Amino acid sequence: MPSNDQFIRLLAAWALVHETADEGWKAAIERGVVQAPGEMGAGPEAFVNGLSALVADEKERLKASLSAAGSGPAQDGSDLGVHLDELRFEVAELRGQIESMQASLDALLRRSEG
Amino acid sequence: MSRRSRQILLTLAWHALRGLVHFSASRRRAAFAREMRLALQVLGPAFVKLGQVVSVRPDVFGPELVFEFEKLQDQVASLPASEIRSVIEAEFGMAPEVLFASFEDTPLASASIAQVHRATLARSYRPVVGAVLPAGTNLAVKVVRPGGEEAILADIATARPIAARLARIKRFARYNLEGLLDEFASTLCSECDLRREARVADRFAFDFRDDALMVVPRVVWPCTSRRVLTTEFVEGWRLSELGEPLARGIDARRLAEHGAQVFLRQVLEIGRFHADLHPANIFVTPEGRICYLDFGITGTTSPSQRIAIAQVLAATVYGDADRALRYSAELGLVVPAAREAVVRMKVGALMAQTLATAPRDIRGFAVGFLRVLDDERVEVPVGYGLLVKALVTVEGVARALYPEIDITEVAGPYATRMVAQWTFQPAVIAKRLPQAFSAALRELAG
Repeated sequence: MPSNDQFIRLLAAWALVHETADEGWKAAIERGVVQAPGEMGAGPEAFVNGLSALVADEKERLKASLSAAGSGPAQDGSDLGVHLDELRFEVAELRGQIESMQASLDALLRRSEG
Repeated sequence: MSRRSRQILLTLAWHALRGLVHFSASRRRAAFAREMRLALQVLGPAFVKLGQVVSVRPDVFGPELVFEFEKLQDQVASLPASEIRSVIEAEFGMAPEVLFASFEDTPLASASIAQVHRATLARSYRPVVGAVLPAGTNLAVKVVRPGGEEAILADIATARPIAARLARIKRFARYNLEGLLDEFASTLCSECDLRREARVADRFAFDFRDDALMVVPRVVWPCTSRRVLTTEFVEGWRLSELGEPLARGIDARRLAEHGAQVFLRQVLEIGRFHADLHPANIFVTPEGRICYLDFGITGTTSPSQRIAIAQVLAATVYGDADRALRYSAELGLVVPAAREAVVRMKVGALMAQTLATAPRDIRGFAVGFLRVLDDERVEVPVGYGLLVKALVTVEGVARALYPEIDITEVAGPYATRMVAQWTFQPAVIAKRLPQAFSAALRELAG
């Protein structure tokens, strides 16, 4: 057999392994998704099925967050959003405490005037 | 000895004797705990509050006392509205009717430290978290009872010589009762500053801002001071009054599962958790949402503790005593080498007895686990004990919503996911790769 054919056969073998693994992976996800709560602890196979479903679920979440980040202004938009939220909260928290102090101060002033 | 001291001593002694008449050790411990709870109820609000402090200290007291004292309800006769009004006037320099659009004299609830009244918001207000509260919003106004703190501290001062006397008895020495009274007095002082609770409430509201099934009442800061805490009023039912919401068709199973997930998220992701969850502190709203109240006792977890907790949880759910104890050591639970085998054997047997088959009994496991640690004289770190107890409470709360729930079905996958996320972090993989590589080479060479 010419060496070019051997190379193609090697790639075909790689594709076959990949396809078989992919089918096995998809089947494990399908079995994991329909698992009843708690069934994951029933044995190694059930655990792998459950874990596959969890990973697939996480993969979808990751895909969604990556596409959302891709449509935003910056690549690390979600991180920036989290920091902005934190900062906004801290500012609002300070505002709240100042409002409370202002109310106490006003009460003291009213008392001293009265 | 004063009359009150005599009364305290006699009440404690009488109930202690009643609790010690059983021959079996386990029955005696349970009966003693029950009698002590009754004694505290007889002795009044200071002792009820003290019992509540004991109920969150499984690191010091036996599990029977801790779980029995959880039942103590801090309820006292309400004060006349005039006394509450005078506190509001002193704090804000104006009558409640001026500060609020309306104020109801009949209290919603009355406890030893504070009393809660209903009011309505006079002007629209933008809270720290969430949308603007429009004028006319219903409010809950929590007001520190005048003299409440002083009355409790006076009772604690009376109890101090008794605690000192008890400390001389070997059996009681390890409880450090005087230390407990000091800690109680300092907790009480911080509990009486309601601004601290307000800050924690805001933080929880922020942590759960993206959770459509969670509600945390938002604080109205201009009407909040050291002795007055004003929040939005959330309509709902306590967990003990769930007949009506269930009849309305609220999905109790979903709510119970979500309640457990919310707690796991606090402990394993956010790092701050409500450590005083009991049926009086949780509401279910007419829209089928969970509402947290009263943020007096909270716990925190560091990032490294979170992963160790996830490992302990996963190991417990899958009945792996060895792994559970190994990761517990990272949380400060150190079993002396001489007792390691015994503790592992007892914990394994307990797991088989309580967690191997459905319905799994988390409470039974926790009480048994803490009992094993107590019997084997293993020191329980404060945070560890609080967490074990909080998990039991979460199970109780979830079961109040949906009696058939098995929270390990929620906790197992959640903890597994956390462990998997941590394991596949680039830094962790980089750390473990050389070890895995040399193990693989050894395998190939063999």
